[in-house]
Amino acid sequence: MDGKCSAQGWVYSALAEVCRRSSPAAKDEVSTMLETLLPILIFTALALAVIGAVRRIRLWRQGRPSRVNLLQGLMALPRRYLVDLHHVVGRDKMISNTHVATAGGFVAAAVLMILVHGLGIANPLLGGLLLLASTSMFVGSLFVARRRLNPPARLSKGPWMRLPKSLMAFSIGVFLITLPTVGLLPDGLVEGSGSWLLALVLAGVVVWGLGEMFFGMTWGGPMKHAFAGALHLAFHRRAERFGGGRSTGLKALNLEDEAAPLGVEKPTDFTWNQLLGFDACVQCGRCEAVCPAFAAGQPLNPKKLIQDMVVGFAGGSDAGYAGSPYPGKPVGEHQGAPHAPILAPVVMKEGKALVDAETLWSCTTCRACVEECPMMIEHVDAIVDMRRHLTLERGKTPNKGAEVLDNLIATDNPGGFDPGSRLNWAADLNLPLMADLKQVDVLLWLGDGAFDMRNQRTLRALVKVLRAAEVDFAVLGAEERDSGDVARRLGDEATFQSLAKRNIATLAKYRFQQIVTCDPHSFHVLGNEYGDFLQEGQGGSDFNASYEVRHHSTFIAELYDAGRLTFAPWKGGSVTYHDPCYLGRYNGEYEAPRRVLKALGIQVAEMERSGLRSRCCGGGGGAPITDIPGERRIPDMRMNDVKESGAELVAVGCPQCTAMLEGVVDASAEVRDIAELVADALVERPAGDVSGVSRRTTAVTTAEEVTL
Amino acid sequence: MAFDAIFEPIEIGKLTIRNRVVSTAHAEVHATDGGMTTERYVRYYEEKSKGGCGLCICGGSSVVSIDSPQGWWSSVNLSTDRIIPHFQNLADAVHKHGGKIMIQITHMGRRSRWDGFDWSTLVSPSGIREPVHRSTCKTIEEEEIWRIIGDFAQAARRAKEGGLDGVELSAVHQHLIDQFWSPRVNKREDQWGGSFENRMRFGIEVLKAVRAEVGDDFVVGMRICGDEFHPDGLSHDDMKQIAAYYDATKMVDFFGVIGSGCDTHNTLANVIPNMSYPPEPFLHLAAGIKEVVNVPVIHAQNIKDPNQAQRILEGGYVDLVGMTRAHIADPHLIAKIKMGQIDQIKQCVGANYCIDRQYQGLDVLCIQNAATAREYMGLPHIIEKTEGVKRKVVVVGGGPGGMEAARVAAERGHDVTLFEAADALGGQITIAAQAPQRDQIAGITRWYQLELARLKVDLRLGARADEATLLDLRPDIVVLATGGQPFLSQHPEWGYSENAEESLVVSTWDILSGKVAPGKNVLIYDAICEFSGVSAADFLADKGAKVEIVTDDIKPGAAVGGTTFPTYYRSLYEKEVIMSSDLMLHKVYREGDSLVAVLENEYTGALEERVVDQVVVENGVRPDEALYYALKEQSRNKGQVDLEALYAIQPQPSLSEEGDDFLLFRLGDCTAPRNTHAAIYDALRICKDF
Repeated sequence: MDGKCSAQGWVYSALAEVCRRSSPAAKDEVSTMLETLLPILIFTALALAVIGAVRRIRLWRQGRPSRVNLLQGLMALPRRYLVDLHHVVGRDKMISNTHVATAGGFVAAAVLMILVHGLGIANPLLGGLLLLASTSMFVGSLFVARRRLNPPARLSKGPWMRLPKSLMAFSIGVFLITLPTVGLLPDGLVEGSGSWLLALVLAGVVVWGLGEMFFGMTWGGPMKHAFAGALHLAFHRRAERFGGGRSTGLKALNLEDEAAPLGVEKPTDFTWNQLLGFDACVQCGRCEAVCPAFAAGQPLNPKKLIQDMVVGFAGGSDAGYAGSPYPGKPVGEHQGAPHAPILAPVVMKEGKALVDAETLWSCTTCRACVEECPMMIEHVDAIVDMRRHLTLERGKTPNKGAEVLDNLIATDNPGGFDPGSRLNWAADLNLPLMADLKQVDVLLWLGDGAFDMRNQRTLRALVKVLRAAEVDFAVLGAEERDSGDVARRLGDEATFQSLAKRNIATLAKYRFQQIVTCDPHSFHVLGNEYGDFLQEGQGGSDFNASYEVRHHSTFIAELYDAGRLTFAPWKGGSVTYHDPCYLGRYNGEYEAPRRVLKALGIQVAEMERSGLRSRCCGGGGGAPITDIPGERRIPDMRMNDVKESGAELVAVGCPQCTAMLEGVVDASAEVRDIAELVADALVERPAGDVSGVSRRTTAVTTAEEVTL
Repeated sequence: MAFDAIFEPIEIGKLTIRNRVVSTAHAEVHATDGGMTTERYVRYYEEKSKGGCGLCICGGSSVVSIDSPQGWWSSVNLSTDRIIPHFQNLADAVHKHGGKIMIQITHMGRRSRWDGFDWSTLVSPSGIREPVHRSTCKTIEEEEIWRIIGDFAQAARRAKEGGLDGVELSAVHQHLIDQFWSPRVNKREDQWGGSFENRMRFGIEVLKAVRAEVGDDFVVGMRICGDEFHPDGLSHDDMKQIAAYYDATKMVDFFGVIGSGCDTHNTLANVIPNMSYPPEPFLHLAAGIKEVVNVPVIHAQNIKDPNQAQRILEGGYVDLVGMTRAHIADPHLIAKIKMGQIDQIKQCVGANYCIDRQYQGLDVLCIQNAATAREYMGLPHIIEKTEGVKRKVVVVGGGPGGMEAARVAAERGHDVTLFEAADALGGQITIAAQAPQRDQIAGITRWYQLELARLKVDLRLGARADEATLLDLRPDIVVLATGGQPFLSQHPEWGYSENAEESLVVSTWDILSGKVAPGKNVLIYDAICEFSGVSAADFLADKGAKVEIVTDDIKPGAAVGGTTFPTYYRSLYEKEVIMSSDLMLHKVYREGDSLVAVLENEYTGALEERVVDQVVVENGVRPDEALYYALKEQSRNKGQVDLEALYAIQPQPSLSEEGDDFLLFRLGDCTAPRNTHAAIYDALRICKDF
């Protein structure tokens, strides 16, 4: 409250002072002085800004090349900013409106100010618009100030705390110097002995405003976000994300190019537009607020990581960082330089490496940070890039990581199981094999859950559902290999690509319309990441054109809609649904699972964090394998979310989620895959004229249900 | 993956078995109407398949010929085409759940009884009498040999036409095939005896005829013994030679191996090892056979635990494990492994209630699982939650009946409180488990402990419930399972007194529970001849006492089953316990520091005396009825059980009648002393509809 009062009080008293002390005699001198001074100030600030921009751009250009169409990017910028970015920002209406007023006011005011006060086009219309723009900016800055009164923990402090004042200085300064332009201040207003002093104060305010807004923008002040952010939008490495698109597949490493580094060792190993992206960070901490690892007290804070990357390519230490640290790691001890290894054990003579490896291995690749980021920064890409270096160049995948990768190399599955045993769970189901049939409608992709006793129940349920709907399907059986998801996310791009290419070659042997899988990770990798590795004749020029990959919930929803499945009414208790990251945020499928649950007669008691904002189970990105300790376990927190929803059962659609959530001790809710719920509810479709009464198939239990 | 070895499928012949666990052939004693499989039979095997068992080999000792009597053990009769449609029902029921099913076929030769049904003349290679069944037989003739070979082939055809997945030829337990093998029994000098090849000939001819009938696509295996354990019988090396000889014909798809012959009471006990045996005692014999054959080897004998099965399979000793009694105790064993519910598996304790009933020609039942082999009646292995009202159920007594009542009521979703006067659950099981070699019986209690904890039953241990305490809980249902006390007061001449200082006799419970210290020179009078008397004798002898166990019955332990009395006898004879029969305890009196027990010969009336320092009497249990009569009049149903509903496995009518007062049920020894199974069965059939 104090801040608010004093900020407002300061503005009003300054205005009053100006009004009271003005005199006609001094008016000319002062006006002349301002008319002389303002263009100098404005153009000096602009010149400094340009110099800063050039220096900043040179910092970004330390990064490796990245093919971006610069002109197209710049042309697309307004739309990306106004539509795509505001779609993200608009999730918080208050901040969105504040930003529209402040930033919109500032951009308009800056342009008009250059015209009116810089170039001296004292057109009253322009002046009037400038007054309006600066007023808008001022109003916006009041809200910015209000937000900073009791800022949430996620917001960085430090220089960011002065930003609302700077915004006000700029807007008030511009407003005041523009009043005469529109003739609102009659002659004689500025008079008296204090007018010079007043002019100096006014000039000082303008200088402050210009300094923060123009000079600071390119020299590393908080306003840097506007400059870097705008260019980041223009030159974003995933242009597909704009215009309502989705781009979640990791970018392939070119393993053929011997000159290319295997992942990121030092800041300059990032591409230039990744460095640009880091610089766009506004330190709003939305990423921090949604990061499951941060919440679990593991040593990861996405915001700090991005700031550390900035420290890395700009050089220096993290001492100036004024946000939440990596849990358990003090700020100020880490240093970086553009060509210094980010993760070296000892980089500097004093202090520590820029980032500790365990920070990177804490990430579950859940993409909550990426989806939440208003600047559309790609945190997960950066983390995986650095993991690639650790794994491929240094062989330092922690804990069980190395073993899992060895297993994948030796056996094509992370558990090191005999590849021939992939169908052991289905020995009594007589599953049709692709090798026998060559051509079917649906290829059922099993995933490595085929080796897991828990997931085998889901698979058996799914087989029962497919059979009930009389789907023409087959499995690859022993020909299937791990999709490569875990290898890729643990940084082992080579093993991933090897698996991908061999899986693609296997798939290319057969004809089918779609791949259905109960594993969102396989779903993602097959659907979004294999496309980069297709060769001539393998599924045609467009991987997805030859067949679609479907999550089983999507497929079941379609079967139901097509009238191929009939369900008995739900008799159980309250149910909630947990969105798997790789189904939801990675693939945008939030609806189908809910539609299936609705079809089962279940009214989903949604958790507070669901859909796009679902909290990760902790099972992605190899996190359970690298197993970085924290203060809590992520799945425990998620099961607590479940408990708070009041549900007795949590429906899931992912083997990882099932495993993680079922691993919670003394959980209040049962964990069931959607396929299991569907299989349990199946009733034989009423035949012909027999209306209404349908019989539960449990009366004629089949082999699929053997596990009860 | 844990248990990956268990869940690795295997090919037997051209048949894929989904995992490595087999329910091996045993006589179910369920086939009726001249040996046709019944609804009961089908549902019994269907339950195993539903529970995930890979392969069921049904029909232990199912006969192929009409002169191998079927009726004594109600075994399956494959000597007629009438069996084929019955097999089709059986095969469909098992296949529906992904399991496979084969049947053991045999001609039992001399190993049967002749004195009933068709009054068959039993046949054997050399007409030598079989002691276990006291059966005499004729020397088989050439014509009969060929007839029986043909019967084997026709029986295999019937199994195949019925849709079963294979047959197992029994050449174990001294059936006709291995009667020809064994020089102990086969003294022939023609082409069917003498040399190795001649002794092998009958089995080989059976195999040839069967193969010729069913072709290569149908599984044909053999069950053989690993070592007959008779000095003049087939040794392990002999059996390896035999197995290799048969394997070389390439007509055998698998071998099932059992350690020990069984044509004496003592070797019979080895075949189905009770709780006194170590785990898998004869695995080495099966592993020895596996060394010399090229087809899968199955071995079953005391393999009860998933970890044990995994270890055996992982070690490669055999290819499949038989977990037959394990499945009788819990047909959902495999499903529970898969569900990660290993703690919920009801593990076989080796009480051998199942097999000891079978040897008496009674249907095979499980001491601790009353639903087994009663699936056809609608008794559930998995209790479903009630959709009706939730009730307050109070169970008094933590013995087997009380524990089962509490478990079933809690599974139904009711609010259950259980009172047990002792500090631990178990009741008489706890006492029984104190005897040497009998500790594993406590496994029954351990399972209930885990289940009652999982089901969050309110356990009040060390708490004796009285009328006021019970009524304070405002129960909807009270189940009394308060058991009873040793019945020492029946004959005043025994000198029993409630005052321990004055009493001349003590009970087996006093001894086994440790309440009374063992004497040095002890006489046990056992009027019951079940486990408790011989257990107390073994216990006392183990503590260094000189023991004589006396009974008025035909022999001590007469009511202990055929696979268990031998292990008691081994222990008792070794400890020089004197076993006397036909003597009644007439009177006990004190003489100085000693006690004199006066015994009366039942047949002559002659009296004899024993001077000892301790007299232990086992005279059964007197029901504890006090609480029942205190509550009876206040209860809505006056404590009565509707027998028609009970026997028909229907809900007790009183459950659906309106009224304010509580319902009262009483079960187990507090009604009349019976056994563990009876208490558990009553608890299940009364409480399943709460």
